[in-house]
Amino acid sequence: MDILRYFDFSLEIHQKIKGRRIPIGGAIEVTRRCPLHCIHCYNNLPADDQEAKGCELTYDEHCRIIDEITEAGCLWLLLTGGEIFLRKDLLDIYTYAKKKGLLITLFTNGLLVTPEIADYLVEWRPFSIEISLYGCAKETHDRVTGVEGSYERYMRTIRLLTERKLPLKLKSMVLSTNKHEIWGMKHLVEKELGLEFRFDAMINPRIDCSQDPLAVRLSPQEVVDFDLEDPKRIGEWRKFFDKFNGPVHPHDQMDELYHCGGGVHSFAIDPYGKLKICELACGDGYDLRKGSFRDGWETYLLKLRKQKITRQTKCIHCEIKAMCGMCPENAQLENKDPEEPVDFMCQVAHLRAKALGINVKPHGECEYCRAQGSEAGLP
Amino acid sequence: MDILARCYAKDSNLITRDIAGETIIVPVRNNVGDLDSIYTLNEVGTLIWELIDGKNSVSRIAEVISNTYEVKLEEAERDALQFINSLEKAGMIRTIENKME
Repeated sequence: MDILRYFDFSLEIHQKIKGRRIPIGGAIEVTRRCPLHCIHCYNNLPADDQEAKGCELTYDEHCRIIDEITEAGCLWLLLTGGEIFLRKDLLDIYTYAKKKGLLITLFTNGLLVTPEIADYLVEWRPFSIEISLYGCAKETHDRVTGVEGSYERYMRTIRLLTERKLPLKLKSMVLSTNKHEIWGMKHLVEKELGLEFRFDAMINPRIDCSQDPLAVRLSPQEVVDFDLEDPKRIGEWRKFFDKFNGPVHPHDQMDELYHCGGGVHSFAIDPYGKLKICELACGDGYDLRKGSFRDGWETYLLKLRKQKITRQTKCIHCEIKAMCGMCPENAQLENKDPEEPVDFMCQVAHLRAKALGINVKPHGECEYCRAQGSEAGLP
Repeated sequence: MDILARCYAKDSNLITRDIAGETIIVPVRNNVGDLDSIYTLNEVGTLIWELIDGKNSVSRIAEVISNTYEVKLEEAERDALQFINSLEKAGMIRTIENKME
C-alpha cells in the first residue's frame, strides 16, 4: 500500500488521467445568494432573493447529481456560492458528498459559520476551506463587502476554524479599494495567523455581463507591480513561464477554441442544475434536471470542447499566452465574443513578460509588441 | 490465536474509489486514518482490500493471491500479512475477535 502525501498523490493521478477525458474535478454552486455585496463579485445575488432561492436545486437533486458525478470519476469537488451556508441543508449536501468519497473544498465568506458548524467540520473534515479577506483594517474589509461588521464576524470565524485546526486557506482579491493593504494582509495571515495566503488581481465582469466589477479593477501596470513586489511571486511566474515557454497549444489543436481543463477534467454546475464548462460560463448549459451528468458530459460538454475557432486572432500564435489567462469564457464576459482578445489581459501578459525580461516573438497584429522585444505599444 | 486464522474488517468510515484504474481509499470521518494522507492500492493490494470483509481469514486471502498470481503460498502469506499489518497500523482495519476459519 502506498500512503501518499497529497502533493505526490495529486501529481500521480493527474499523470494517470493525462490524455483521457475524466471529470476528476468539479464545482457545484449551491446558491448565488449572499449576504455580502462585494462589488467585484462575478455572480452574487441578494440573500433574500426568493425567486433565485425557489429555482435552486433541492437536496434530493443534489444527491442524485453527486451520485452521478462520483460514478463518472469525480474526486475533487468544490462547493461554492454565493454564500454556501445560506442554505440550511448545506451540511446535509456536504455530508452526502463526503460519504461518496469526494475530497471537498468549501468556499465561504465565513459570515454564517457557527461553533456548531465548525465542530461538525472537525468530525467530517473537508479537504480544504477557503475564505476571502479584503483588508487588514475593518473599515477596508467592510467597504469591499458592503456590510458593516463583516470584518469582526470574519475574524471570529477564522478563530473558530483555526482553533479546531481545520484546513483553512485565506485569499484576497486585490482591488483599487484595498490595494494599499495587500502586504499587510499577507503579513497578518502568514505571520500572525500562520495560514496560507494568496491573492489575485484578475477581476472579471459579472456572469450576467454587467461590467460593474471592472470599476475596482487595477490597471495592468498595477497588477504587474504586485508581482514585482513579491520575490516569491515573481519567482513562481518565472518558473511557470520556463515550463510553458513557446507555443502554448500543440499544432494539431491550434484550431480548437478551448485549451483549458474544462470539459476534459473539470466541470461546473450552477445552482439551477445547469452543467457548464466552468463557473464563469454564462451560456445556457446542459440541464441536469432533464438529463444525466453522463449525458451532459458526453454530449454537451464534448461538443463544446470540440468547438473550433472561426478566425485568426493575435492570441493564436502568442507564445506568452500562459502568462495571460484569457479564455473563451472571460472573453465572452468582457467582449461578448469568445474569440476576441481581452485587452486588459493582453496588456498584463506583455507587461509581465517585460518585467521578466522575456523577448516576445511577433504573433500577428499585436499592438503591444509591434516591434519585437519592445513594449512600444503598451500604455 | 494463529495469526493466519485472523479475520479483519474495514473501518466503515473509509470509502473505496476506483479512478482511472487506481484504487484510492478516502477516509471520511475524523476517527479514522490520517485525513491528510491519501491511500492508493496496487493491483494485489486492491485484491486483498476487496477480500477483507470480516469473514475471510488471512490464510484464505493468501490462498486467493497464491492462486490468482501463481506464487507460492508461503510467499503470498508473507505479502498478505505485511500488507494487512500496514492497514492495521494506519487504523483502516480491525481484527474480528474469536473468528476461526
